[in-house]
Amino acid sequence: MAKGTELSQSEIEAIVERAKKGDREAFGVLVDQYKDKIYNYVSRMLSDPYEAEDVTQEAFLRAYRSLPRFRGASSFHTWLYRIASNLAIDVVRKRKRSEPTFSIDEPLESEEGEYERELPSEDGGPEQRATTRETRLAVRRAIMDLPEKLRDVMILYELQGETYEDIAEILDVPLGTVKSRLFNARNRLKENLRSLVEAGEIEVGQ
Amino acid sequence: MICKQAQEDLVGCWGCADELSSEILSHLEECEQCRHEALLLRETQVMLHSLPVERAPEGLTAQIMDRLPHEGQQAGWGERIARWLVPERRMQWGRAAALGAALAIAIAGGVYWYGQEQQTPLQEQVVATTPASETGGDERLAITDAELDELILKHQMLEMSQPLADDVGVGLVVYTSR
Repeated sequence: MAKGTELSQSEIEAIVERAKKGDREAFGVLVDQYKDKIYNYVSRMLSDPYEAEDVTQEAFLRAYRSLPRFRGASSFHTWLYRIASNLAIDVVRKRKRSEPTFSIDEPLESEEGEYERELPSEDGGPEQRATTRETRLAVRRAIMDLPEKLRDVMILYELQGETYEDIAEILDVPLGTVKSRLFNARNRLKENLRSLVEAGEIEVGQ
Repeated sequence: MICKQAQEDLVGCWGCADELSSEILSHLEECEQCRHEALLLRETQVMLHSLPVERAPEGLTAQIMDRLPHEGQQAGWGERIARWLVPERRMQWGRAAALGAALAIAIAGGVYWYGQEQQTPLQEQVVATTPASETGGDERLAITDAELDELILKHQMLEMSQPLADDVGVGLVVYTSR
C-alpha cells in the first residue's frame, strides 16, 4: 500500500483486523495513515514539538498493545484519538503541577545564540489566507490560554475537522457538552484575541 | 435582549450572516456593537483556520515500529499489573470497583478468621476453673455454689465481650451442676 494514500473506511477496518492478529506491517500502515493527524492534534494541545512527538509515539504504542481488546464499537480513528487525548491531558495536568516547559512560540537556544523555531508550513489553498508569523503566534497563545477542556473541543472541531458525534465519543462526553464547550471556546478565543485585533496589532489577512 | 441573542447566534456561526434569522440581520443593520462583534468573530475564525498543519517529524513511523513489542514477546507481570491498574480513563471505575470488592472480601475473611482464632483460649480458660484432679475426673459433679457463681459471672462477661464466642462448654457445666 502506497504511503500517504487516504484509505477508505472498509480498507481501514480490514487493516485493523490484520493488526489485531499481530500483523506488524498492517499496524505500520495505520501509523502512516494517522501519524500526522495525531501529531497535529497533540501539538496543538501541548504547543511543544518534543512533547508532541513523545505523546504521539506513546499513543501508537498503547494502541498496539490494546488492539486485541479493540472491539470496533467505535471507529479506529476515534479510539486512537481518545488514547492520544488522554495522554495529552495527562501532560497538561502534570505541567500545571510543575514549572511550565518551553513553548512553541519561544526561540530555541543554541551555542550560536537564540534562533526562531521553524515550523513546517503548508501551501495555502484558495481558502487559506496568508498571515504573518506574529499572527500565528498570537493565535497559538490564544489557543493555549483556553482551559484544556475547551481547547480540546476547539482543536478537534475547528482544526482537525472532527464531527460533534466523533468528538463526543473521543472525549466520552454527551453531544450537548461538546456543543456548549465549542460555543464557550469560540467566545473565549474571540476575547483572547480582541485586544490585539482592535489595536490592529495582528494582521488578519483579509 | 436582542443584542444578547444576536451575539449568541453570531458565535454559533462564527459571525457568518448566512445562518442568521431575518430578525437578527435587521438588528445587525442598526446595532454597531453587534456588527463589531460579528467582524471580530469572523477575524478570529480566519486567524484560527490560517494555522498551518503541523506534520509528524521524519522517521516517526520507524521510531514507533522499532518500539513495538516483537511477536511472542510477552509483557512482564509487573507491567501487566500496572497496565491493569492504570487502564484507559473510561475503564478505571469498573476496575476500581472490582479491586475494592476483592479487598473488602479479603478483609472480611481475615476479620472472621481472626475472631475464630481468638475464641478458643477464652473457652478453655473458663472450663479450666474446675480441674479434673479435684473432682475425680468428673468436673460436672464437683462444682460448688461459689464456683458456680464465678462461672456464671465469667460466662456473662464472656458473652458481653465476645458475643459471637462459642460458649457451649461453659453452659454445659452450669446446667449439669444443678
